[in-house]
Amino acid sequence: MSKIWLFIDRRLNLSPLLREMADHRIPDHANPLKKASAFMYCFGGISFLILLLQLLTGMFLMLYYVPSPDHAYASVSYIKNEVAFGALTQNLHRVGASAAVVMVFLHMLRVYFTKSYKNPRELNWIAGVLLLLVVLGFGFTGYLLPWDQKAYWATTVGVNIIETVPWLGGFIADMLRGGDEVGALTLTRFFVIHVMFLPALLLCLLAAHFFMVRRQGISHPL
Amino acid sequence: MRPNTSPSHERPAGAVPPSGHADTRAPFYPNHLFVEGVVALLVFALLVILACFWQVPPEEMADPSDSAYVPRPEWYFLFYFQLLKYFEGPLILVGTFVLPLLIFAALFLLPFIDRSEETRPSKRPWAMGLGLAGLLAVAGLTVVSVVQDAEHRMDLPPITEEHLAAGEDLFARFCVLCHSMNGKGGFMAPDLSQIGARVNRVYIERVILTPQIVSQTTIMSQIPLSDDERHDVSAYLARKKK
Repeated sequence: MSKIWLFIDRRLNLSPLLREMADHRIPDHANPLKKASAFMYCFGGISFLILLLQLLTGMFLMLYYVPSPDHAYASVSYIKNEVAFGALTQNLHRVGASAAVVMVFLHMLRVYFTKSYKNPRELNWIAGVLLLLVVLGFGFTGYLLPWDQKAYWATTVGVNIIETVPWLGGFIADMLRGGDEVGALTLTRFFVIHVMFLPALLLCLLAAHFFMVRRQGISHPL
Repeated sequence: MRPNTSPSHERPAGAVPPSGHADTRAPFYPNHLFVEGVVALLVFALLVILACFWQVPPEEMADPSDSAYVPRPEWYFLFYFQLLKYFEGPLILVGTFVLPLLIFAALFLLPFIDRSEETRPSKRPWAMGLGLAGLLAVAGLTVVSVVQDAEHRMDLPPITEEHLAAGEDLFARFCVLCHSMNGKGGFMAPDLSQIGARVNRVYIERVILTPQIVSQTTIMSQIPLSDDERHDVSAYLARKKK
């Protein structure tokens, strides 16, 4: 093991990078072992964990899911009823979505009420608000994918709301729907947004978010 | 190499702080990573338990022709849908455009609006007040929405043969004057022979209660039915699928 590591490290010189990542200390006010109120500082990490879980369960659901009006509903039924651990995976993904929204919201409240957004962490706050939008976008696009009554009509209402926005609303609504009504194009668009565009955006924003936390350290206590 | 923008409290591990005491803060690796691992496993266990016990009843496949379906968004969007109910007509723009724009603009610009170094809650009444108000608004609107949804569902009694027979009698007494059923009845109002295939029972109940939800100019009057009688009629009609 150590020989393999030495082989790699001699060529790529990774140890300074690793040291930079692992070699820092946790301030006591953010360490739940030292101070009970530090649990508030776990919300961001837990959000990240849940998002990772969503990526993982999402990948497994994609093995069977078919994004077309004719097959979407049946493929979800198949996942729930036939696939090994399919029901658990599907329900974990659904419950995880709720949990992600809750944890991201709690994380945001912690940062707001401890005023951690103040100088010098303004940019990281903005990255955080963008991440909130991305997570809500995941929720909105994912809701259509099971292609059941609730999905179809909630999305119709949601896109109609977007359509009322002056100037850009009609354009955005048409882009999302791919026509005048929620239909086959809407489903493929929401699917691709849900599994490609948003995850790419999410990973970039998370990288920036974590980079800034490491660069600036955890904010001071009140 | 440490970035010089690093705040003073973040010193390299093991470094002796200016006070002269050894650094007692836990190192990230391995101590804190272990704590994070434990928390991660607990969260995962909790999610699996939640996924096992919090199930949603299966829904029917999407039917683009069934516009009577009353959709509800995911619970974390409920507060917003509730908010929209308070803005009608052209005012809807306040709910769909002005408020979201203002709130997200305020969120993005927050660090530049609130620039003081003060972090103690007692010294930042505005931020605390607005934060709490926002939190209460979201929580309150969600609760109101859930309560209204529960009222809307109306807890309809299950459909039995007895109710169906009573519903048929009531239909023959009140409804056939205008509506027709399987070729018999009036022709002043739509035929209801297959009404159950087009709309659900809750919608039938709502139409009997307030005929105007179908059309502002409908000639249908409010039918003098008790709650139980209305449930019988809606049961009868909901079963008229073909």
